[in-house]
Amino acid sequence: MAAPMALRRELFSLTRILGGISLSGPRALGACSGHRKCNIIRSRLPLASSTSFHTATVFSSTPSSVTVTEEPDTLFQKVSLLVKGHDRSVLDSYELFATMAAKELGITINKVHELPKDMERFTLLKSVHIFKNHRVQYEMRTHYRCIELSHLTGCTAQVFLEYVQRNLPEGVAMEVTKTAMEKVPDHILEPMWEDHPTDDKLSQ
Amino acid sequence: MAASLSSTASVRLLSSLFSSSGSRALHVTTVCCKNRAARVRVGKGDKPLTYEQALPPHQIGHRKGWLSQHTGNLRGEEGAAERTIEDVFVRRFMFGTFHGCLANEIVIKRRGNVLVVCALMLQKLPPQKFYFLIGYSESLLSHLYKCPVKLEVQTLQDKAVYKYL
Repeated sequence: MAAPMALRRELFSLTRILGGISLSGPRALGACSGHRKCNIIRSRLPLASSTSFHTATVFSSTPSSVTVTEEPDTLFQKVSLLVKGHDRSVLDSYELFATMAAKELGITINKVHELPKDMERFTLLKSVHIFKNHRVQYEMRTHYRCIELSHLTGCTAQVFLEYVQRNLPEGVAMEVTKTAMEKVPDHILEPMWEDHPTDDKLSQ
Repeated sequence: MAASLSSTASVRLLSSLFSSSGSRALHVTTVCCKNRAARVRVGKGDKPLTYEQALPPHQIGHRKGWLSQHTGNLRGEEGAAERTIEDVFVRRFMFGTFHGCLANEIVIKRRGNVLVVCALMLQKLPPQKFYFLIGYSESLLSHLYKCPVKLEVQTLQDKAVYKYL
């Protein structure tokens, strides 16, 4: 399907789950008391090939409708979702959810693998004043999951990512890396030495 | 038979004692306090504890869950300190607004921009007062933090006791 699915986006649903988005971005103005509507203004970031960016992007605040444009859709060779969390079981269930959603939409899943966990440890003094020999150790574990999808169109990728990001559980962060495919420009389509063989011989 | 076995055992013990270095020592360290963080000390058996209070903090991730869920503490993510300060303020605010009505610790979840505060309350106040307090805290917190704040409240008759210590 070239055209995106029409999603009914009431303004209320915009205030729902966009889990794990880095909160350093612009915040929405406070909810009016008694109403549940918020105007979330987010800027659309330009998509470049093989960028990695957090998910606080590309959601417009106007209700979407099916738009059919003449320009060709961007093609993505690979879209990789890296999900990070503290709880491995939460990531397990989220992986199940994302793979089911991809299968329903007919997206080819390249591979789903688990990266080794990261542990950030630090050792602090146990006591307030002295007793240097008695310490306390803390650690923070980050578990990862990587879901790689291949050969998507831009519309499919947008729909899938939006669905999957709206349902990110709390305490889970996601990084998306898209690798776009572009047509090779005409001037480098054929090697130069085939067009001008005499010039090369003269330069040598 | 039994007597002979015991005599050999005692002989062996004596021989091992004499074959060691032959000196005994008593090791004394400086004051090594036991860990006291977030632990309730064992008492006479009359203190009722909820599941949250009964388990010590090294069980977080095993038998306990997280009380505040955000992405600030993940590797490569920022904003952990700001979230912590917000959490502390929200907990104190809720403790003060619903004084005496909280059955358990408050769970704070952040999904995108939304702050979801989940609380278990005791049925001490009439429902109209509850609704007013819930609306008041939601609107006040959302104006303070400039983000939608939702309160999810569940009420109980009594505190859910897990253990008596």
